[in-house]
Amino acid sequence: MDLYFINKPNLDRLVKSLSKTYKIFVPVKSDNSRFYKKIEEGLRDSVIGEIRAVEPIKSFYFPARTKIAEYFSKDDSDKKEKPIAIIGAKSCDLASFKVMDYVYAQEPFKDPFYISKREAGLIISSDCTSYGETCFCVAIGIMPYPTEGFDISLSEVEGGYVAEAGSLKGEKIIKEYFKLFQSADPYIEKRDSNRKKLKEDLLEHVKKSKIPSKDSIQPAFKNKFDSSLWEEVAKTCVECGACNMICPACHCFILMDQKKENGFERLRMWDSCLLMSFAKVAGGANPRKLLAQRMRNRFDKKFNFFPDTIGRFGCTGCGRCIEACPGKIDIREVLSKLEG
Amino acid sequence: MIDNPYLPIKTEVLDVIEESPTIKTFRLRPETPLHFKAGQFVEMSIPGKGEAPFTPSSSPYEKDKLEITIMKAGRVTSMIHNLKKGDVVGLRGPYGKEYPLSEYEGKEILLVGGGVGLAPLRALFLALVHDIEKYKNVLFCCGSKTPSDIIYKDSVLDKWQSLDKKKVKFRITVDRKDDSWKGNVGLVTTTLDNLEINLKNSFSIVCGPPIMMKFSTFKLLEVGYKPEQIYLSMEKNMSCGIGKCGHCRLGNFYACKDGPVFRYDKISHIHEIWD
Repeated sequence: MDLYFINKPNLDRLVKSLSKTYKIFVPVKSDNSRFYKKIEEGLRDSVIGEIRAVEPIKSFYFPARTKIAEYFSKDDSDKKEKPIAIIGAKSCDLASFKVMDYVYAQEPFKDPFYISKREAGLIISSDCTSYGETCFCVAIGIMPYPTEGFDISLSEVEGGYVAEAGSLKGEKIIKEYFKLFQSADPYIEKRDSNRKKLKEDLLEHVKKSKIPSKDSIQPAFKNKFDSSLWEEVAKTCVECGACNMICPACHCFILMDQKKENGFERLRMWDSCLLMSFAKVAGGANPRKLLAQRMRNRFDKKFNFFPDTIGRFGCTGCGRCIEACPGKIDIREVLSKLEG
Repeated sequence: MIDNPYLPIKTEVLDVIEESPTIKTFRLRPETPLHFKAGQFVEMSIPGKGEAPFTPSSSPYEKDKLEITIMKAGRVTSMIHNLKKGDVVGLRGPYGKEYPLSEYEGKEILLVGGGVGLAPLRALFLALVHDIEKYKNVLFCCGSKTPSDIIYKDSVLDKWQSLDKKKVKFRITVDRKDDSWKGNVGLVTTTLDNLEINLKNSFSIVCGPPIMMKFSTFKLLEVGYKPEQIYLSMEKNMSCGIGKCGHCRLGNFYACKDGPVFRYDKISHIHEIWD
């Protein structure tokens, strides 16, 4: 795809124009973390570069709590909302779309709520310009800069950004606002060297975690299926489900029905496979009674099921679960223990 | 917008039949007919309260009504057991893979059912009987805990017994007898001895509680069935029914979309299948 340069004031102008069509979310910094904030008046204190936000991008397309049906009532009204644009999404979050799209957009039962948000939405991603202590994307084959799954991607360079269109939607926006862009020629070399430098630094950073090479993770997991590793890992798990909630690729949910004034409604809420009742059936049978089995199941899904099913891990190396776990369970450490 | 797969169809409870102290059959009429094939399941909901998966037990050839046989076992099934004629419930589906009837043509079919596991097998049995000339014969082995736990008593002990005995046979057993019982006593696996079946030309289909499925499958292997001749209806936590919520994963499959009917050789390597 063609590359362009956009300076900071012009990006701000572009975002202001896009906010007529989209509800725009951009990371802002609080203490040392980044959170998505809805903006209406340009970019202001937003952080386009740096590292991923605390919340996973799934929360916009597959929110923690969604009403998915109103039934046996008269007013099944369909209220129209502005589509969502995310600015500053990082590569690890874009990778999670591969999992989410597989789950929610697959035939024969497409999820209308997810699909309508994805189709109408806009993703303006950006390169990471640093890495966090828990970041390990490169260890599992994901780059710290977007390579797919964006409409437009921004790479910070001095005075502005190198912009790349990744979809027809992105190209159309660049064409429509073409006067805001300049030639990227003077900046491409710098973008590439920035990317190379960060990738190398991050590779160096993850080296000490001793994560098996990308291609040996799945076979190593299979070898360790019956080992005592899972009991060991589960020892400090308190079954809070934080790792599932914060994971951009965890997609499981529970359905809940409730009465409303006129009729009934059905809600869909994030669920956690580490909870005791996750796989339990009414008669009491539970294929994963033990916490160690549920812990293994989490890794089974991410590093065995998804490679077989979609040819990629159900983990994007974002490291959020490491930060979220009160039991200090470190996914990098677990992966390192798969070998040997 | 594409159809909402989570939306239930308003359904009237036409009748409630008490099968046993813990099992009832609900005769239902959805506002929009719901055409299932034997072995597929539906999600039945109590409005505003919750939903659970069930495999219909009536003939798939009955077009606008269906029956679901339900054991009182958990939160939703307890509420379902309180339903009365005229009440309204929700239904959505059908979901999942059915029994492959065309593969069963020309074969000797062995059905092995235990307890409320007879429900899907009744739908299958009725589908087989509907076109009985297509199949060599059917042997239906039914196991129940006690005589009072036998479901579909009118059919199993009476009506079905008048079917052509050259084509359809039964072996009925109870784990524990009472004074009234004159029939076989023993686990359903005991009915699998001395099968007068040409195993090379046969398929067996098993449905029941996990432990019964496990031992029946092992028994079938012992008497000479190959794993690819055994079909199982797996009961897992099929919550969304459409392969998204993640609860019913079984190895690389989801019971809701790749099952609930599985050929045993496809899942025999998976840990945790009998739990």
